[in-house]
Amino acid sequence: MQALRTAATGMAAQQMNVEVISNNIANMNTVAFKRQRAEFQDLLYQTFEAAGTQSSDQGTIVPTGVQVGAGVKTGAVYRVGTQGALTRTDNQYDMAIDGRGYFQVLAPSGENVYTRAGNLAVNDQGQLVTQDGFQIQPAITIPGDAVSVSISKSGQVEVLQAGQTNPSIVGVLELSTFVNEGGLKALGGNLLQETSASGAPTNGTPGSVGIGTLVQGYTEASNVDAVAEITALIIAQRAYEMNSKVISTADNMLATANQVKA
Amino acid sequence: MDNALYVGLSRQMVLRREMDIIANNIANVDTTGFKVESMIQKTEPAAPAFTIGGPRPVKFVAADGVARDFGQGSLNPTGGPLDMAIEGKAFFQLQGPDGPSFTRDGRFTTDATGRLVSQGGLPVLDKSGGEIVIDTEKGQVKVGGDGTLSQGNERVGQVGMFEFTNLAALSKTGDNLYRNVSNLAATPSAEARLRQGMLEGSNVKSILEITRMVQVSRAYESTAKMMDAQGDLSRRAVERLGRAQ
Repeated sequence: MQALRTAATGMAAQQMNVEVISNNIANMNTVAFKRQRAEFQDLLYQTFEAAGTQSSDQGTIVPTGVQVGAGVKTGAVYRVGTQGALTRTDNQYDMAIDGRGYFQVLAPSGENVYTRAGNLAVNDQGQLVTQDGFQIQPAITIPGDAVSVSISKSGQVEVLQAGQTNPSIVGVLELSTFVNEGGLKALGGNLLQETSASGAPTNGTPGSVGIGTLVQGYTEASNVDAVAEITALIIAQRAYEMNSKVISTADNMLATANQVKA
Repeated sequence: MDNALYVGLSRQMVLRREMDIIANNIANVDTTGFKVESMIQKTEPAAPAFTIGGPRPVKFVAADGVARDFGQGSLNPTGGPLDMAIEGKAFFQLQGPDGPSFTRDGRFTTDATGRLVSQGGLPVLDKSGGEIVIDTEKGQVKVGGDGTLSQGNERVGQVGMFEFTNLAALSKTGDNLYRNVSNLAATPSAEARLRQGMLEGSNVKSILEITRMVQVSRAYESTAKMMDAQGDLSRRAVERLGRAQ
């Protein structure tokens, strides 16, 4: 019976849905995390009787065909790229991106990866790095005798060194944008990787056309909405139950067929 | 004599198919833009089951067609700037590899070259059947009620919404897509409105489906009971006739 398999696809889809929702809830306090959504599509249809075929010699046609679907599949799990709230931290190396764009990070593999998590730090050589110690590109080195660091909206990093009265510029931060941000591949550790779907990155200084600005002393919170996630969880659970109900009903029908006396 | 068995069997075959359709509805209770389906039954016009002296000819049950309820699904806010839901009776038109497809699923995105595409990567077409290209550098896309896309003060395109005079012309191909299998042309819709940042939910009403499922299950059982009784009757007839000799 097709209904058994159809309901099984429904249960599998809802299971995937719950997995995505639980990942969102788990990352509610992850810096710059973008919530994900599982989206579903119907599966292929089996046509038993095609609409529009002739039903008699007089040329009458079948107005509606008989098409039975085979269930549901997960079409895509995509990131919702809306801005997260800016949270004040007062840490001078924390930077939130207000608007579009990603920081470029040099991964240990030698390639550039991208992140919106601006909770940065300096390493032993004074280089600006992510929490994993990966260097920010273009490389910026903070002198060891820096008293204070200020980063402007447009990415200029100014340092006030001990014994000096005027701050000096040590570098300019750049942000990368993509035509299709949804096409970026998540690597974990808040990092994203360029793919053929995302297109090549366009680099530019913060605040220029189409690129967001930097806000020092803030981090971007995740854009997970707890109420929306819990509601989605309830819907997913009920849908799962309903599909299991279909399986037990189809099973009962098969049992009835088996009980017919020969 | 065996008519009741065969008629019962035709009923059970239709019930099983109806159960398959209900299962598909329930599996798609959370599928964007899904339209609920139900089975239409008919009495088979030909009457191959022969009756001797019966009051009226015995006829089989057959599946006549699948009815789709194209009623509006609920609009769920998602916040995605390129998520669009149609309010009204229209469809989006997508450029498929072998001709246009239609859909109510408005989860759009831009591809690597900036074209507005569906989740399956098919380009979304405008009123006159052209592709829509968005330059994401120019900032947020605003979608007007009539499908007009603008960035800032600049108009960048218009998402086409098409309607059919006869919705039975559409055949489902999976992936939330419909194909036009008739020679009726789709016409641009004047009444349908587009809502940005929303998606149309499935219009499956779960309580209705569960109720129908219970009905199907019970009808299947009672048909089986009827066939049982008919079987008993023939068995007894054979026994008695055997004794009479």
